[in-house]
Amino acid sequence: MIAASQLALRIANRVLLENMNFSVTSGEFIAVLGPNGVGKTTFLRAIAGMHDIAGGSLSIEGRAIGSLTISERARTIAFMVSDDAPVDAMPVRAAVASGRYAYHRWWEWRETEKDATVIAQALADVHMSEFSARRFDTLSSGERQRVWLALGLAQEAPLLLLDEPTSHLDVRVAHEILQLLRQLAHSGKTVICVLHDMNEALEFADRLMILSDRSILAFDTPAAIVQNGVLDRAYGIKLEAVRSATGALRVFPSC
Amino acid sequence: MRTIAVALLAVLALLVSLSVGATAISPRDVWFALFHPHVHSDVNTIVWLLRLPRVCIAGLVGAALGVSGAMLQGMLRNPLVDPYLTGVSAGAAAAIAVAVVLGVAAPFIPALGFVAGLATAIIVAVLARRGTGIDSIRLILAGISLSALFAALVTLILTRIEQGSAAQTILSWLAGSLAGRGWHEVLWTLPYLLVGFGLATLCIPALNVLRLGDVRARAVGVDVDRAQWLIVSSASLLTAAAVALGGIIGFVGLIVPHMARRIVGTDTRSLMLICAILGAGFMALADAAARTLFAPTEVPIGVLLACIGVPSFLYLYLHEARTTP
Repeated sequence: MIAASQLALRIANRVLLENMNFSVTSGEFIAVLGPNGVGKTTFLRAIAGMHDIAGGSLSIEGRAIGSLTISERARTIAFMVSDDAPVDAMPVRAAVASGRYAYHRWWEWRETEKDATVIAQALADVHMSEFSARRFDTLSSGERQRVWLALGLAQEAPLLLLDEPTSHLDVRVAHEILQLLRQLAHSGKTVICVLHDMNEALEFADRLMILSDRSILAFDTPAAIVQNGVLDRAYGIKLEAVRSATGALRVFPSC
Repeated sequence: MRTIAVALLAVLALLVSLSVGATAISPRDVWFALFHPHVHSDVNTIVWLLRLPRVCIAGLVGAALGVSGAMLQGMLRNPLVDPYLTGVSAGAAAAIAVAVVLGVAAPFIPALGFVAGLATAIIVAVLARRGTGIDSIRLILAGISLSALFAALVTLILTRIEQGSAAQTILSWLAGSLAGRGWHEVLWTLPYLLVGFGLATLCIPALNVLRLGDVRARAVGVDVDRAQWLIVSSASLLTAAAVALGGIIGFVGLIVPHMARRIVGTDTRSLMLICAILGAGFMALADAAARTLFAPTEVPIGVLLACIGVPSFLYLYLHEARTTP
C-alpha cells in the first residue's frame, strides 16, 4: 500500500526526518509515536501529499504521492486533521458531504444518489446518523471527532490518516474512536494514526512506528517494541511494562 | 421556497423603486410603461430613461457587493470582512480624487476608478501571496495598509483644494451616489460584472468546502490556492465595477451576506443566489429612499445606508448573540 525509501523531510531547511525506509500493507492499523517535535505531524502531512518530501521516495499503491492530482489524492487518502479551526454553524451532514468534493467536476453541484448512500453509510459507521441535522457547533469534542472520521469515510479512500484523534477526549470516547478505527482496518482500510498515549497505541495498533532522533527508531508489533525497550530510548525515560488482567500490555514511568 | 419569497420581495422592491421619486408614478403605469416601451409619454420617458437605468444600476451594485462580500467572508471565514477589504474602494477613491483635481472629463472618471480599484486589488493580492496561494492574514493586513495610505491621499487632496465643485464631486464619490447614472454606465460595466458573476459561480463548490478550513478543504480535494485566486479576482472585479457605478457604498457587502445567512443558512449554493437577489432588492429600496426622503434633494445613498443599515445590523447581530446559547 505505502512504501518509503530513504525518505527525508525538512522544515525551513532543517532536516526533520531522514533515512526512513518502511512499507505498510493494506488493512494494517499503524500508530505513530515519538516525543514532541520529532516530526509526527509533518510525516503524516507528507503521506497526505501536503508536505513536500526533501529526498528519497514515498509512494502509495506504486505511484509517487507527489504525482497524484489533488482529486486523485483525495480519493486515495483521507487525512483527518484535529485542529480547532472554527467551523461554520453547518449541519453535520453538510460537513460530511464535503468528503464527496473530489467525485464531482466543477459544474456538478448536485448530490448524486451514490453520494447520498455513501454519506448515510459514513454517518452510520461512526454511529452519528441521528445527528445528521444537528449543527456542528453544538456537538461535543467526541462527536466532532466522529464527524471528521465520517468525512474521511465519505471520501471512500483506502488510506485513513489521523493526527491525534483522541486528544481532548475522555477515556470512554477515546476507546470508542480507536475501536472504530480498528474495525475499519479489519474491514480493509489502512489506518495510520499519530497518538500520544502509548497504552492506546499498544492496545489497538497492529504495529507501532516510533520516531526519534530524526528517523524511525523501530517499526514493529507492540510486544516487540516493549520487549526491546524502544519506548524508553525514544522518550528518554525508564518505563515499566505490565500485563493487565485481560492480558493487555501497559507501560508506566517507573520513577 | 425561501429563495422564491426573497426573489418576489426583491422584484417588489425594484417596482417600488421605479414608482417613487420626484414624480410619483403608480405601479400600474410603471407596469404599462415597462411593457410598452415605444409609446411616447412623459411616464415612459421617466421610466425608461431615468428610473429604469438607475434601478438596474442599484440592483447590479447591490448584487455585486452582496456576492463579493459573501465570497470574501466565506474565504476568510471572517464575518467582519467586506468587499472593500482588498483595497478596491480606497484605490478607486484616490484615483478619482486625483482625476477630479487634474480636471479629467467626468465621463472618464468611473472607468478610471474601476481600473485603479482593480489595480489596487491586484497589488494587495500580490503582497498577500504566500507560495502559490494567498495568505488570509497578509491579505487583510495589505488591504488595510493600502486602504489607509490611499485614504490619507484623498484627505490630503481634499484639504488642499478649494471648496467648490471639485471637492463636491470627490465627496459625492466617497459618499456613494447613483445620481446622474444612465444606460451608458450599465452597458460598459456589464461585461465586467458578467465575468465577475461567472467567476463567482465557479467558486461556489470550493467555497462550500472552505467552510471547514483550508487544511480540510485541501484534504478533500479542493485546490485551495487556485480557489483563493479565483475568489479574490471575482470579488475584486465585482467590487470595482460596483464602485465605478455608484461610488463607495458601504455596509451592503457586509450586511447582505449576514441577512442571507439568516434566511438560507451557510450553504454557499443557496447563499450566493440569495446574496445577489437580496443585495439587488436592498439597494433598490435604499436608492428609492435616498431619492424621496428629502426630495428634491438626494441623500447620498452611502450615508443613508450607514444611518439605517448599521443600527439594524447591530440590533440583529447583538440580538442573535444574546439568544444563541
